[in-house]
Amino acid sequence: MTNSIPSIRILPADIGAAPRGAAEGGRFIETLQQSMDQAEGAQGDAATQVAQLLNGKGADLHSAMIAVEKADLSFQLMMQVRNKIVQAYQQISNMQF
Amino acid sequence: MNLFGMLELSGSALGAERQRAEVVASNMANVQTTRTAAGGPYRRQMVVFQAQRVPRFSLALAGLHPETASAVRVAAVVSDQRPPVMRFEPGHPDANAEGYVAYPQVDPVEEMTDLLGAVRAYELNASAVQATKNMINQSLDLLR
Amino acid sequence: MSMIETPLMRGLERVLDQSAFRHQVIAANLANVDTPGYRTRDVRPFAGEIEQAMAGEEPSFTPAAHEIRGLLERPDGNNVSVERESLLLAQNQLRFTVAVQFLKAEFHRLTSAITGGGSTS
Repeated sequence: MTNSIPSIRILPADIGAAPRGAAEGGRFIETLQQSMDQAEGAQGDAATQVAQLLNGKGADLHSAMIAVEKADLSFQLMMQVRNKIVQAYQQISNMQF
Repeated sequence: MNLFGMLELSGSALGAERQRAEVVASNMANVQTTRTAAGGPYRRQMVVFQAQRVPRFSLALAGLHPETASAVRVAAVVSDQRPPVMRFEPGHPDANAEGYVAYPQVDPVEEMTDLLGAVRAYELNASAVQATKNMINQSLDLLR
Repeated sequence: MSMIETPLMRGLERVLDQSAFRHQVIAANLANVDTPGYRTRDVRPFAGEIEQAMAGEEPSFTPAAHEIRGLLERPDGNNVSVERESLLLAQNQLRFTVAVQFLKAEFHRLTSAITGGGSTS
């Protein structure tokens, strides 16, 4: 199960360097970072549990299913946070001053 | 739910109880057998059940918590060691010098009771298999 | 995992772990209903563990079973009660089913919260 999170870490290069409201931007980035870390962790955990299940190494079926669902939820959360940040950045950069 | 292990465990009981029923059927079929290839009357057969500690690296029972799960197996099929039932039948071809014929120690009532026990235990473990399958399906359903 | 984990989720997961394990113990009892000398096993009562799990406290679930007392023993040493195990099998299965349903609902609720009701604007 390939981990797709690293490729999503690539954001518009200058997003962290927005001049106005940089402090706010920082906090959003932090949240995004957190959600990315969590999504990566959850995906790894799900992969491990499913592999153990299929190897007959003793993972409970319901635990593996829950791990997969959590990986999915974490991923969705991360995508939502990322999209909102990108959207906000685009709105700000489109403003005429 | 540990898929393979759980079904194997209940399955072991289904197999053992079935074997027990087969032995009962054999006893019932031979209740009148006074002559066998080994000489003498048919000897009543009995199964000996034994709890099977899960071998640590057994793939078949993989995933079960070792200190808890015990599958069951038929350790042996043994002959009833009680002496045969002697009946006075001087005209019988297998009668001994005193006119007694040796009959198997098979009591139909005892055998039927045993069979009922085997059937009940079989049904119980079939329910356990059904319950396991339900829980497996529900676990899979978590992702819907 | 705290961003997408709720106390309810943790509690329900614990219920699933407990009842899955107990199912194994009950099935082993049923498999050995005719094994000479076999003693009925069960888990310790669940009380309090759900609250602990919901609060996020350790310990995580540790499977443990032990012999239980007070059962009628047959001449061959076996004390498995068909009635007891059948009843527990059904009750335990129900507990598992209920927990799964609530957990699914919780997952759906979270999904809605994250995606804003399905839209990914």
